[in-house]
Amino acid sequence: MMQPDSGVAAVELMNVVKKSPRGQIGPFQLKIPQGYVVALVGPNGSGKTTLLNMMLQTLIPDTGSVRWYGRGFEGPIPLEIRQQMGYVPEHPAAEEHIMTADQAARFRSHWYPAWDWQRYERLMDRFEVPRKEKLNRMSKGERRKFEIAAVMAARPKLMLLDEPSAGLDPFAWKDMIEELRRSLDEDASTIVLSTHIVEEIKRLADFVVLVQRGELRGMAEKDALLGSWKEYWVRGAEGSFLTGMNGVIKCEPDGPSILRMVLKDEAELEKRIASSGGNAQIIKSRVLELEEILQLWMQGNAPDGLIDSN
Amino acid sequence: MWIPIQINENSAEPLYHQIETQLKSLIVSGQLEEGTLLPSIREFASSLNCSVITVRRVYQDLENEGLLRTKQGTGTFVANVAAGERDEYKRAVVQKAVEAAVDTGISVQYSSQELKKLFLDILQIKYKDAGKRGDQE
Repeated sequence: MMQPDSGVAAVELMNVVKKSPRGQIGPFQLKIPQGYVVALVGPNGSGKTTLLNMMLQTLIPDTGSVRWYGRGFEGPIPLEIRQQMGYVPEHPAAEEHIMTADQAARFRSHWYPAWDWQRYERLMDRFEVPRKEKLNRMSKGERRKFEIAAVMAARPKLMLLDEPSAGLDPFAWKDMIEELRRSLDEDASTIVLSTHIVEEIKRLADFVVLVQRGELRGMAEKDALLGSWKEYWVRGAEGSFLTGMNGVIKCEPDGPSILRMVLKDEAELEKRIASSGGNAQIIKSRVLELEEILQLWMQGNAPDGLIDSN
Repeated sequence: MWIPIQINENSAEPLYHQIETQLKSLIVSGQLEEGTLLPSIREFASSLNCSVITVRRVYQDLENEGLLRTKQGTGTFVANVAAGERDEYKRAVVQKAVEAAVDTGISVQYSSQELKKLFLDILQIKYKDAGKRGDQE
């Protein structure tokens, strides 16, 4: 199994539990490795935003603890660490509502020593956000673009993004992906983002974390996850063809003398095909799409090679 | 710098293996010359839509094989592939491909005679095509 290698985690959740009227979230054991992009995925209401809020210390866990760059804190996160963190919340902060974009940026620039006006200007121009408009008069997408630009202008080492693409048009979305990649390359930053957009996971993520009903299902390397399952159509195979084989999820008839199967172990399948003496043959195969893989995972079929966060 | 690597998402071949094989053949064939600076791991991963873990693994493997070298703080470069070594690599790559083709033949119970005939036929067609392309250039 491949483990992230860059030493101490940017954020580490240690047995973290948060209780709410809707039920318990956790226990979470999770390490966000430095310099990587981790995508939090899972159905609505599964606890992704709570998780981000605990990483930001805007929510304090009931039990367990959180560490930032290897350090835990009794009180609030020290300023010098908080200044290296950027957050795009699900709902933008109310206290900035009556400011214009530029006023809010000036306000924020005092908080972040690494604030980069040049980058701010470039992003605002690229995203075409109106600068003199009050933030609460902007469209949802424009406001979102401002939030993203302002977070990136602070040149954070750790970005926590709660559904950053919500409300963005496809063109702005593409710009955002490009800019996030650029900041990853230039600043060697770490990104944790929650998302429902499969294409976003494909283009950005290095790791995928699945959260479901308040529980952590695991963390997987994205590229390994993508190759987890394959679907085959095999002609001329008996019903008992796959007997005793591990990692078979589905095997059902699909047309005359054709079996349709979803499985992991391709080498074993090929061995069985070869030893069938030419009776069985693969007539079609495909790699499962990411959303299908995630769905299988949610149904309890975990992929191989989950990362150990202990 | 743009590296012409084509990923087949539907291939059973693991992603890192696809990238590694293609990058290796670009280096060994001389299409990427000695001293060429490769993209940063993050940049390369972005252009291929894969994770940095995969690209790092490829860079490390090829560095271990002596095809790449990394200078701290500057980046990853194509290493010097000696002419003899280049021939050796070429032979190894081709040999592996031919072996795979023969294995396929054996798996469908092709006789060695049939295989030989097919091989020579394909050889003739392919090299004729390659010759034509050469003339046009």
